[in-house]
Amino acid sequence: MGIVFTRLFSSVFGNREARILVLGLDNAGKTTILYRLQMGEVVSTIPTIGFNVETVQYNNIKFQVWDLGGQTSIRPYWRCYFPNTQAIIYVVDSSDTDRLVTAKEEFHAILEEDELKGAVVLVYANKQDLPGALDDAAITESLELHKIKSRQWAIFKTSAIKGEGLFEGLDWLSNALKSKS
Amino acid sequence: MSGHDSKYFSTTKKGEIPELKEELNSQYKDKRKDAVKKVIAAMTVGKDVSSLFTDVVNCMQTENLELKKLVYLYLINYAKSQPDLAILAVNTFVKDSQDPNPLIRALAVRTMGCIRVDKITEYLCDPLQRCLKDDDPYVRKTAAICVAKLYDINAELVEDRGFLEALKDLISDNNPMVVANAVAALAEIQDSSARPIFEITSHTLSKLLTALNECTEWGQVFILDSLSKYKAADVREAENIVERVTPRLQHANCAVVLSAVKIILLQMELITSTDVVRNLCKKMAPPLVTLLSAEPEIQYVALRNINLIVQKRPTILAHEIKVFFCKYNDPIYVKMEKLEIMIKLASDRNIDQVLLEFKEYATEVDVDFVRKAVRAIGRCAIKLERAAERCISVLLELIKIKVNYVVQEAIIVIKDIFRRYPNTYESIIATLCESLDTLDEPEAKASMIWIIGEYAERIDNADELLESFLETFPEEPALVQLQLLTATVKLFLKKPTEGPQQMIQAVLNNATVETDNPDLRDRAYIYWRLLSTDPEAAKDVVLAEKPVISDDSNQLDSSLLDDLLANISTLSSVYHKPPEAFVSRVKTAPRADDEEFADAAETGYSESPSQGVDGASPSSSAGTSSHVPVMQPPATPAPMPDLLGDLMGMDNSIISAQLVRRDGQIFYDISFDNGTQAVLDGFMIQFNKNTFGVAAGGPLQVPPMQPGASARSLLPMVAFQNISPGAPNSLLQVAVKNNQQPVWYFNDKIPMHVFFGEDGKMERTSFLEAWKSLPDDNEFSKEFAASVISSIDATIEHLAASNVFFIAKRKNANKDVLYMSAKIPRGIPFLIELTAAVGVPGVKCAVKTPNKEMVALFFEAMESLLK
Repeated sequence: MGIVFTRLFSSVFGNREARILVLGLDNAGKTTILYRLQMGEVVSTIPTIGFNVETVQYNNIKFQVWDLGGQTSIRPYWRCYFPNTQAIIYVVDSSDTDRLVTAKEEFHAILEEDELKGAVVLVYANKQDLPGALDDAAITESLELHKIKSRQWAIFKTSAIKGEGLFEGLDWLSNALKSKS
Repeated sequence: MSGHDSKYFSTTKKGEIPELKEELNSQYKDKRKDAVKKVIAAMTVGKDVSSLFTDVVNCMQTENLELKKLVYLYLINYAKSQPDLAILAVNTFVKDSQDPNPLIRALAVRTMGCIRVDKITEYLCDPLQRCLKDDDPYVRKTAAICVAKLYDINAELVEDRGFLEALKDLISDNNPMVVANAVAALAEIQDSSARPIFEITSHTLSKLLTALNECTEWGQVFILDSLSKYKAADVREAENIVERVTPRLQHANCAVVLSAVKIILLQMELITSTDVVRNLCKKMAPPLVTLLSAEPEIQYVALRNINLIVQKRPTILAHEIKVFFCKYNDPIYVKMEKLEIMIKLASDRNIDQVLLEFKEYATEVDVDFVRKAVRAIGRCAIKLERAAERCISVLLELIKIKVNYVVQEAIIVIKDIFRRYPNTYESIIATLCESLDTLDEPEAKASMIWIIGEYAERIDNADELLESFLETFPEEPALVQLQLLTATVKLFLKKPTEGPQQMIQAVLNNATVETDNPDLRDRAYIYWRLLSTDPEAAKDVVLAEKPVISDDSNQLDSSLLDDLLANISTLSSVYHKPPEAFVSRVKTAPRADDEEFADAAETGYSESPSQGVDGASPSSSAGTSSHVPVMQPPATPAPMPDLLGDLMGMDNSIISAQLVRRDGQIFYDISFDNGTQAVLDGFMIQFNKNTFGVAAGGPLQVPPMQPGASARSLLPMVAFQNISPGAPNSLLQVAVKNNQQPVWYFNDKIPMHVFFGEDGKMERTSFLEAWKSLPDDNEFSKEFAASVISSIDATIEHLAASNVFFIAKRKNANKDVLYMSAKIPRGIPFLIELTAAVGVPGVKCAVKTPNKEMVALFFEAMESLLK
């Protein structure tokens, strides 16, 4: 029965497209994650002044991934990208404990946005390879993820450099998107 | 309005912009591309589509070159109106500038240069830096131009990021187009800068000459125009340049030809060999002649330039006068210019031919042209003595046709001919008199009256002729009235009979009583008084022999001519005006002290006119201390309640000041002599921004000063606080004021050694390492001819007191070599090698430092320390 359903899904949603925003504070690793997902390799990045957009095909979903610059000067323009967004990947630098409060505030500000009401939220607790990085539970705590109501969310421990956890998160995301529609 | 009417305000139609917005955000690429095209179309017809900014920018990251170009086009147009959002495009630009496709890289850097938004210019720098060193010449040449654009937006940024050096490096590029664009960019930058930025050296010269042969025509123009600013070092170099440039004369593009001509003319100044000059003149003639077969507009430009060339070097086109003969279908502006050149080229050899032409022109229909032709004949007569007679006979022939304006014009030039050759051609006066009644133009009338007055004794009925003019005296224009007055006086002096006497009475009366024209009245009174006091003296004055004239109309002053020749093939050479006369350039001068003195104004100072920052200080400072008799700069608009008192007061006041270092702290040692009759108090001091960022570390403490008293104060200073940009110099501009006097400004010198820190001592090994680690480029040396080292130990001790620390010494032949080190804040070390023979004047100082800019100031400091 389960197999039949999966087939049904993949045939119906085989060429689905999803618009995804990758958000987070500066230096969280958004651009690295984007290119890790897209090309499977680590590219050297510079601070993104503006945006990157790439298409990532995964699990029969064509993700149009928008990686937006995380610097304070650019954050106000995130809202320009909110309409028609199905999912948000929020990237947190797990080792940057000093700025977790800022990360939390930005995160909850995003969740308040009307245009993102229906968006699924995936949190990457990134930079797990660094010593002193908080684990997913600690990040859940500091981001106050449990306060999220009426929205699907998940958190994954990731290391963009090592490529760990990224696709697990994407698996969850594709399932969440499929089940939503 | 009934309640139902609200429906008119709600509509299901969304309007163009929201529709476009939706399409721009479509998930289908084709639809997005179409939408962007629609946006661009709307933009080109003038609709405001700036509200779609982010949506369009979001389409920027695409593989599709066409779409990318459209988005770029949109950005150039609207980035200015959306300066905040423009930042969203930056990342894409940065990415595109690293794209594998050189076209995209060049496109990105070119577009970025066109976006004049301050916020994003700084992000432009990194991509630009990369593109300047790109593998692809197309990218490099685009980047070169981009530097010039960036300079226009933010000159300081360009200099700080070393783009000027990068541009200069591009001059040695192996691709001629890159060289041409680098030259174009540098020339553009130089135009907008007051400092010398782009100077061609003998090294770059050969690079440019090589690139010249290979690049496109407009690239050649850029290079040639830059070369024209180069002053060859000697004859050989000049000949070499000319030799390399001469082939350009054959180019089909007239801009190239004219630019080449310009260079050759300029370099010819240096060339002494007459053979070479003659050869060059021969070579330049055919290309110049060829220019005259182009369209009339280009002909005109060519003619205006040739006009200048002919004035400088008539020989070039001496044999080509025929090409300047007017064709019947030439536009009038071309004809006029040709006439001018024909006059300049007319010589005894070709005058017959020329006169024939002029005579022909004088019978054409265009009145202006005819007049000019007649005048041209006159000017030839004045210019060529041997041909004068022939010219006059042509003029007489023309008078005989009795065309009114020809006659009038002829009379005007004949008057000039009489002035040129007095007592030679007066026989023709009779012929002229026949046309007397037809004259209706003031200039012609005035000329005729002058002739009658001048030759009154030879014209039997001169009095009658003049009388006929006198009837209408009050109605005549001033020009004619003045001539009538003078002519009547002359007539009276020559024939003091009854008729003229009555005439002169009437004229003087008219000219004094009944006129409003002060010139006429004054002249009349002068004559009147002259005649009434001493008629003989009047004769001496009025009938005095006149100097012979020469034709200098339309002749340019030689310095102006040289100026214009250096600008051949520009608007300047067409207008015959120096560029400064019609364009004003905004020079980005090194920022003067506006800001600093604005601060000063707040604390009660008056604004000062900016004083030369670039070291042209009139300071009388000798050595390191300045004794400045305080005088107010004349232009200072300082508030002056009592001008006289201030001036007297200040004349005797003296400030002496000097920067000193004590116990690791820098002080401004300043002393005042109160030479005024008043008590001075409330002293304040302000320093202008300077290389070392020297500023007052606290308020100036000077007690109230009685008349005649002096006071001294050690003002603690801070350094490296607010550093003025630009090349380092030792100028310290100081403003001092008190409650009684306006602000005193003076220039002091910053002796660099006050910054030498106590931490400047180095170990032998670290000195050696540091010396070796610095490249040889960083080594400089200077001879202090006046310095003498009389004892090694004393010198070491003396220098150590100024924090120049001794490290080692060795003997080299009869000389001692001392190694020393010093350090200024910010960790800039100076590694010093002094070479001198004890007791013999002349110390050679070599220094190695990572900071080359400071070297000149360092030598200054060392020289003063070694005195």
